[in-house]
Amino acid sequence: MQRAAHTALYVWPHTVSAAMIRQCLKSRVPLQLSSRAYSVVPPPRDSEEKEMLDRILRVDHAGEYGANRIYAGQMAVLGRSRMGPLIQEMWDQEKKHLEKFNEILAENRVRPTALLPLWNVAGFLLGASTAMLGKEGAMACTVAVEESISEHYNSQIRALMEKDPERYTELLQIIKEFRDDEMEHHDTGLEHDAETLPGYWLLKNAIQLGCKAAIYVSTRV
Amino acid sequence: MAALLRGVRAGRALRGLAGVVTSPAATNPQCSGLRRGFHCAALRLQDESKSDKPSSSSSSTTYHEHYQSHSAEQDTAAEASQGQSASDPEAGEAARPNTSYQDQSGEQNEEYETEEQLQARILTAALEFVPQHGWSMEAIAAGAETLGLSSASTGMFYNGSGDLVLHFIAHCNSQLTEIMAEQHKQIQLGQAESKQTADFLRDAVETRLRMYVPYIETWPQAMSLLLLPHNIPDSLKHLSTMVDDIWYYAGDRSTDMNWYTKRAALTGIFNTTELVMVQDSSPDFQDTWNFLDNRIQDVVNMASTAKQVQSTGETVVQGLMGAAVTLKNLTGLNQRR
Repeated sequence: MQRAAHTALYVWPHTVSAAMIRQCLKSRVPLQLSSRAYSVVPPPRDSEEKEMLDRILRVDHAGEYGANRIYAGQMAVLGRSRMGPLIQEMWDQEKKHLEKFNEILAENRVRPTALLPLWNVAGFLLGASTAMLGKEGAMACTVAVEESISEHYNSQIRALMEKDPERYTELLQIIKEFRDDEMEHHDTGLEHDAETLPGYWLLKNAIQLGCKAAIYVSTRV
Repeated sequence: MAALLRGVRAGRALRGLAGVVTSPAATNPQCSGLRRGFHCAALRLQDESKSDKPSSSSSSTTYHEHYQSHSAEQDTAAEASQGQSASDPEAGEAARPNTSYQDQSGEQNEEYETEEQLQARILTAALEFVPQHGWSMEAIAAGAETLGLSSASTGMFYNGSGDLVLHFIAHCNSQLTEIMAEQHKQIQLGQAESKQTADFLRDAVETRLRMYVPYIETWPQAMSLLLLPHNIPDSLKHLSTMVDDIWYYAGDRSTDMNWYTKRAALTGIFNTTELVMVQDSSPDFQDTWNFLDNRIQDVVNMASTAKQVQSTGETVVQGLMGAAVTLKNLTGLNQRR
């Protein structure tokens, strides 16, 4: 019995190391893919997964960039009104989101979307023009945009959960956190009489259609 | 998983053994129970390794047989070999993982070589014959013959000489990446000084272009092959990954339009320098490297000019805004209501 126990103890490191070796063999990826630092996003297993993660990160980055520009446009018009501090607060949160995505993109060597200059101008114009309609207009724009963005985040969360929730824990956590922030902005907009704007329904749907198109294009280009 | 299974199996062996020690009279049933336990474990292990990797099933069957012979032995000399039989499979198993994994990889290299791996091997061998035969089917055939394969194996390459050039480019790119990764590691460890971005880019492009030196006589032919319509997607892909790698190791972490302008600039530099190199007849391609220096300097100048223009523009806009406000105040338009 003692001998058996001794052998079992002796054998243990062997079995463990064998398992580890096998793990290493399994997770070996081409040099091209493995050279990046491990952070929020796990090192991709194959080109298909890399493509998927790249798309997710690219479109999220573009979305946060666009949102930043919208708030910049709103601030340019309403910056000195009573709504200023509220918009500034939401803008600051968006800035943090964008910073985070900048970091993730750089670490994982993801190509940013080529349409950034377009979103730069379009976002600013959208923010400024809706703000010209008054504070209700700005809030209606916020509601529409934030609703589209959080819907988009939700669909990403769903897709990642279907794939492998354990693998993408950290990325999921970030997306969930940002989604909650966007929902908060959406609710803030509703609280500040977004719905009292004449033609609210029309404006909201027009903006959301634009957002959907922007998301579709940013994923690919 | 495998480790867990083995742990369970070891536990069973111990339990079986304890039973034997406490009641030597009931040796036979205990022994058969023990055997059953081992048998199940072995079967499960076999299943697992089958699902895991088909090539390892052979090793686990031998283990299984080995174990069965052992249990037969156990039946005849039950009491005498108790301790040994319990520990022996364990010992056999201890040796097993190491050997079997080596076997596995060996098998994969020899028997399960994929078509791509074989193609890569042939093309690498063919590079040796490029100065002689050019980037052609003849070079591939000669390469295949050095590996002991028939020259008819060139039929594997439906894209022919294009495959050879693309393979060479991919090979050079991965070599460059390795060099840059090594430098990066040394800088991180503090063994080397980090370079200025311009110097780093220059050195990277020079290192990469120097890989063409052995084939410089035939390189124009390769360049024309790369420009054939069906090779363009792949050659562009290789070019873009190379430029991206160089910028990554140069420490570029931009996520705005800079990402595109930087890569476009480096691609332009690389391609023009390549063209200069092909026509260069100076010793050790000195003219090429001078040209490269100048082009890099151009880009650095351009970047600083762009920065200056931007800051000047901002200042001018601010000045105009100030003037507008002053004008408004003077005309009384800016009265707060």
